[in-house]
Amino acid sequence: MAPRISALLLGSTLLVFGFAARDLHAQGDEARQGAQRFIEYCAGCHGADAQGGDKAPPLLSTSSIPRLSDAELFRIVHDGTNGGMPPFAQIGDANIRAILQFLKNLAGYTSAKSVSTDVAVPGDPDSGRALYFGKARCSQCHLMQGKGGFIAGNLTNYARNRTADDIVKAITTPDTPLAPASQVVILTTGSGQKLTGVLRNEDNFSLELQTEDGRFHFLDRSAVTDVHYTERSLMPRDYAAKLSPKELADLVSFLLVSGRTPQPEKPAAR
Amino acid sequence: MTRLARPGAPQHKPSASHVCLGCALRSLAALCFLLAFHAATAFGQAVNGSAHSPGVDTRPSTDSSGVINIQQQDLLQKPVFANWPSYNGDYTGARYSALQQITPANAPRLAAQWVFHPHTVSPLEVTPVVVAGIMFVTSANDAFALDAKTGNVLWHHVRAISPGLIDDPGQHRNRGVAILGTRLYMETDNAHLLCLDARSGHLLWEVAYATGNKNYGATSAPLIVKDKVVVGISGGDDGVRGFLAAFDAATGEEKWRFWTIPAPGEKGNESWPGDTYLHGGGSTWMPGTYDPDLNTLYWGTGNPAPDYDGRLRPGDDLYTSCLLALDPDTGTLKWYFQFSPHDLYDYDAVQTPVLVDASLQGQPRKLAVTANRNGFLYILDRATGKFLFGKSFIDSQNWATGLDENGRPISAGLIPDEKGVRVCPANGGATNWYSPSYNPATHMFYFRSFEACALIQSNAPSFAEGRAYYASGIQTAGENGKAYINAFSLDTLDFAWRSLQFGRNKGWGGVMSTATGLIAFGDDGLNFVIAEGRTGRPLWHFHLGQLVHASPMSYAVDGRQYFAIAAGSDIFSFALP
Repeated sequence: MAPRISALLLGSTLLVFGFAARDLHAQGDEARQGAQRFIEYCAGCHGADAQGGDKAPPLLSTSSIPRLSDAELFRIVHDGTNGGMPPFAQIGDANIRAILQFLKNLAGYTSAKSVSTDVAVPGDPDSGRALYFGKARCSQCHLMQGKGGFIAGNLTNYARNRTADDIVKAITTPDTPLAPASQVVILTTGSGQKLTGVLRNEDNFSLELQTEDGRFHFLDRSAVTDVHYTERSLMPRDYAAKLSPKELADLVSFLLVSGRTPQPEKPAAR
Repeated sequence: MTRLARPGAPQHKPSASHVCLGCALRSLAALCFLLAFHAATAFGQAVNGSAHSPGVDTRPSTDSSGVINIQQQDLLQKPVFANWPSYNGDYTGARYSALQQITPANAPRLAAQWVFHPHTVSPLEVTPVVVAGIMFVTSANDAFALDAKTGNVLWHHVRAISPGLIDDPGQHRNRGVAILGTRLYMETDNAHLLCLDARSGHLLWEVAYATGNKNYGATSAPLIVKDKVVVGISGGDDGVRGFLAAFDAATGEEKWRFWTIPAPGEKGNESWPGDTYLHGGGSTWMPGTYDPDLNTLYWGTGNPAPDYDGRLRPGDDLYTSCLLALDPDTGTLKWYFQFSPHDLYDYDAVQTPVLVDASLQGQPRKLAVTANRNGFLYILDRATGKFLFGKSFIDSQNWATGLDENGRPISAGLIPDEKGVRVCPANGGATNWYSPSYNPATHMFYFRSFEACALIQSNAPSFAEGRAYYASGIQTAGENGKAYINAFSLDTLDFAWRSLQFGRNKGWGGVMSTATGLIAFGDDGLNFVIAEGRTGRPLWHFHLGQLVHASPMSYAVDGRQYFAIAAGSDIFSFALP
């Protein structure tokens, strides 16, 4: 029988730590659709990364938002607010729900009133920890509670709003969808040098690439002869073969437990 | 060719010998930069002398490598070149750049390069830190890494602002980051020390370092000293007990804490009857400076609380309105100098104590130079704390009739009461936290001053958490102030020039200086100004459209020198075309 842990989640104290847009391994179709709709309808005011714009507040670092129930969040988007947000009823209920799902995944939080207080843990978290920092080499790239690498997303709060199935899917079939800031590109410079790394930013004029050694490379687009977009992140794609079902279950258990363990450094009221 | 260096001052002659050829990561970039220097010379542009003391490493650190890995030698570098690795640039607090590409001759051709808008609070008070072509800035509790050439965001650490704070922390002001190795350190509005991986912006650890009084907050940038991160606190006007604390940079473990208000049984506690020491103020809300040779950390403290009512705190109110000299390894007090004993006018002493090695009246000395909020400029012996020189820098000075031979002010006996007394300088200070600057080549000390008076009233306050502890309802200025940018010569011990500032706004912009004899500052007309340091004559300005509440810095990437400054809710960067 799978052990269960209680999720000690208090909506009022949830803060988003170390979020980066590249923490997006496992999103369902709904969230993927929500990402599209968010860019269409919301980003103009709330910013492309939902971190706020001049016309509207950040959605991920505003502490009052996690306190709202799904129904309350839905109503805000559907009917607008007295504070100046227009209603978005016209985009349809399904799109509103998709946007909310996208934002929840993005922030790694579940709104307080819909948090499941019990989480099924399919394996042994301690063995999972050993895998995370050992054989599975997750910590090579991913931070967990202050330990691990830097090139990929911080997984400390990753599992907070995800089920075991979500996480297994993210590990075994990564990059669905691929977060733009995680995309591996291969640049060829005018001198023929090839650089392979993760694209932290690009525009018409420049490319900002980070290689796995942590080094940032700042390039003028005009000085780059080829940009090969690999359409994938650095995440290995062979975990389904490399890890046994039990190991996978253990690893997922470790993530689930970690994501639901209150961080000791987290502020209470202050 | 303009030469601003004093005759006989060593000239900076870039050559390959200055380059650490063993540093594989740096050498190519360094050579590129040196080539740029030579190119500038070839075009007949001024390459001026800079004063590098014998024994000082003059190797230009022209690191554009994109590799974040700040070592002790980078932090000890003075003056700074391409990198600007800490709040004031180097440990002396001189806010002086050795970069020489931008000169009086070409400064009129400066042009805006990019603007970064973090979409959070205004005004920004941050000084950007630049390492290896990456700029780090903060806005409220958020931190950003930017491509210093383009302003593009590399990563963004998001953290919600803290609800329920008051006063300055309640406005979520933040002055920036410190870097050591691959790690970034910052203070949050609610006085947590964050350690982030500077390569990703991910949180490594966090320490809540001010507890027990909800009025604590933080607005400053941390200072790295050896293997420790030193942080201060805000909230002195709101009845907190000030302290300075040092944490292990690797683990976040607290190593020492110096309380600026002595507890019962400690020297100085006689000013703090009962439990008033718990609310005595003396906050530590600006970064200090550090002398590695004397192994001494210098840190200014804020005013006592309650601010305008001294009846609860008889005596000198140690260690408020002081410069503290501390052992950075233990936090032990070596000496202190109190600028405003028993302050009644909100005269914080957190203005940067600039560490200057210069001759004073013919004798080479290790000095600390500071223009104080109380209207006096001080020169101290920084080995002993001995007062060497003082001078009033505002004409309307009326709270003290002068300084005695030990530098102690001779009080004019103005006691705020319910009716109020007119005090000059006003409570906002004859200068304030905005940075001063010292140019070691010209021996000129630059700072912004503000000439104003205020009617200071006092009503006995009571302390409560969640409420400011100001001892007054109102302070009425009732008269317009006059702002100056000042150049004080350590050679003549007098002002070389004072430049009256025009504009509809009261600027809060600091000053910096460069090895080519330039100064840079934000003015009262919403402009960023580059001026000739010898005369104060403006050479170029750019209308920022927003008031500067911050101090400028300079950096270089790929052989190109930039100036950067925060104004309003944006960061601006400038360079030659």
